[in-house]
Amino acid sequence: MKKQSDFKSYKKEIMGAAHNDRLRLALSRAVKSFRANVKNALEKFPHTVKLADEVLEIKKKAIPDMEKLARQAIASIEENKGKGYIARTSEEALEIIANLVGTKKLIVKGKSMTGEEIGLREHLEEKGNEVYETDLGEFIIQKLGDRPMHITSPSIHVPREDVARLFSKVMGQEIAPDAEIADMVAAAREYLRDKFFRADIGISGANVVAAETGTLFIIENEGNIRLSTSAPPVHIALVGMEKLVPTLSDAFKVSEVTWRYANYTIPSYVSLVSGPSKTGDIEKVTTYGAHGPKEFHVIFLDGGRTRLAKYPLLRQALYCLRCGGCLYECPVFAVTAGHFGDKYFTGIGAVWAAIVNKDSEKAASLAYTCLTCGRCRQRCPVKIDVPEMVIELRKFLAEGE
Amino acid sequence: MDSDLVPPGLTYLADNIITRQNILGVTKEQGARWAQKLNLPSRADTVFFAGCGYQFSAQLEVLMSLARGIDKSVIGSELPMRFARFQKKLGLNLPGIYSNVLSRGGDAEVKPLEAAVKVLRNMGIQPGYLAKNEPCCGATLYHAGLQSKFAENARKAYQVLKDSGVKRVISVVPYCTHALQKLFPLYIKDYDLEVRHFLEIVAEKISLFKLRYPRPVRVTYHDPCQMVRFMNLIEEPRRILRAIEGITLVETDWTRGEWATCCGGGGGFETVFPELSQVLAVNRVTELLETKPDIIITHCPGCIMQLKDGLHQLKIEGVEVLDLIQIVATAMES
Repeated sequence: MKKQSDFKSYKKEIMGAAHNDRLRLALSRAVKSFRANVKNALEKFPHTVKLADEVLEIKKKAIPDMEKLARQAIASIEENKGKGYIARTSEEALEIIANLVGTKKLIVKGKSMTGEEIGLREHLEEKGNEVYETDLGEFIIQKLGDRPMHITSPSIHVPREDVARLFSKVMGQEIAPDAEIADMVAAAREYLRDKFFRADIGISGANVVAAETGTLFIIENEGNIRLSTSAPPVHIALVGMEKLVPTLSDAFKVSEVTWRYANYTIPSYVSLVSGPSKTGDIEKVTTYGAHGPKEFHVIFLDGGRTRLAKYPLLRQALYCLRCGGCLYECPVFAVTAGHFGDKYFTGIGAVWAAIVNKDSEKAASLAYTCLTCGRCRQRCPVKIDVPEMVIELRKFLAEGE
Repeated sequence: MDSDLVPPGLTYLADNIITRQNILGVTKEQGARWAQKLNLPSRADTVFFAGCGYQFSAQLEVLMSLARGIDKSVIGSELPMRFARFQKKLGLNLPGIYSNVLSRGGDAEVKPLEAAVKVLRNMGIQPGYLAKNEPCCGATLYHAGLQSKFAENARKAYQVLKDSGVKRVISVVPYCTHALQKLFPLYIKDYDLEVRHFLEIVAEKISLFKLRYPRPVRVTYHDPCQMVRFMNLIEEPRRILRAIEGITLVETDWTRGEWATCCGGGGGFETVFPELSQVLAVNRVTELLETKPDIIITHCPGCIMQLKDGLHQLKIEGVEVLDLIQIVATAMES
């Protein structure tokens, strides 16, 4: 009976979202501009489409090899005088990070889906740390006490008037509901500015990692990640193991395809981080911790990924570059946003819920919310066949594996 | 059913397929009524496969309007499409309601099928029709995740077709066509039926005909998901529409062809989320209305039901939803 009641409360949640006109308005605007931007980006750089095919081949080879690539990356990172870890489970990842962080620290954090996946911010706060989300969207979500509703735009469902009200409360300075968006952005900048420089630790994720050099590729537009990973004395990165590819050249390809399908011709910043900051300018003696962090830690999270990689159809979920394009094509997402999701969203979210989080009730709710209409596949740079995966997953749920 | 993780709406349809060989669980005779006056042979090399969607469209409309009513009411949260139990509880007699609808002259479902046969005959094809012996393709079982039941049903259905001497199938419902063409071969060894979609045949021969729609109309086309993204039938409907004098095809900017938005009825979705499915139908209709059409044309019984309901919810008058088959048949007549 528990299973039925869970489906009911989920249904209630998504219907609540579906009847929320403001949410729908925000999303329909986002969909329009996203489609126009992607079209423009792909027209301007038409080679991206072919490059995406190459990226699919890279991912197909890398995913079954995750474990080996992680060990290779760790070796490279340690050669660069950083530290690398493999966390088998979310709990293990939290423990490693909590031990590195300790307590009563000031932490600035870049947006990370993997961080959301394991509840990193909440965990560090419980341990008595002060954590600031520095991505504007994620900052809004944190202050609202909400959860992200989109991969690349977590606060996609929050209209500007609500942001003004929230910021007035949080920052103690009045921001009128009809204020310019630029004023809100400026207020967030001012509020966070000193946190970057006072912070003990900066935390980030990564979009891609090149195993041969241990280099993290981090794509962003705001500049908050540059600050978070450069200003504090310690940089900790949490990365899902599926983000690993063999070479630097592979990683460049994956990055370019990711941002282009995430609707950018070129993002403002791509950070490549391979180790702690160092200098040899005085007598050629290498000294760590020049202007950047003295310590650099990378945690590679398995958390069910190697298990998922063993399913021939479902492993496609691990090819996902997290460009977020599919979400804008999903007719259900267009009215529910991230309510049609769990740790990850829509049909791919169902696969994660089932195999990575082993939550078959949640997985069933999501799997049967997918229309299997296939428009997401049309958008996907690596052609993830969501209908095929979802139907396979339904088979597991209905008839067992 | 095997698992209580399958939503009740889908298990209801699945049970009907398994026990009665149609998604509604009514008699097969009801489904075959449309062909009574057409004298289609029951044995032929080439058969016309009518499918549940068109044959039972009137009954499906009743079912869905009931389901949406229930879904929006207080009972909805308690009983999301748990029909078998629900019928008993409320003393509902669904088969009775269905036949009342039919006797009231609710025979809208007849038109596309009859039109399809007429179009094929005009093109020199004389198909047979298995009538009450037509097996159910069972696509809903597949989409519900009940693959072993789908496989079992597919093998039986294949046997029925083979026993009736069928070599070629011309199918109209997108889901059935996809199942017969792409899914059956996955489960049946040495599958040797030639399965073609009605539109492929029409598109091939359309240039041989001089076609005119009785009045000048501005139309838009809604692509069913199965057609464009699973069977790659994108150009065919457009080639057909462009060949008809009097028809001006105006399409949406982003959401056409392989980018078409689902009507909200995908893979039995409307029985799991009746109310949400209606919201999606309204959204799709809103997109299509941007082209300011006189007629919204599509080619799937599920899409037709959804789009009609979307128009109804938006209280739009003066815009029709018609099947492409009806358009072709009308253009052939005049």
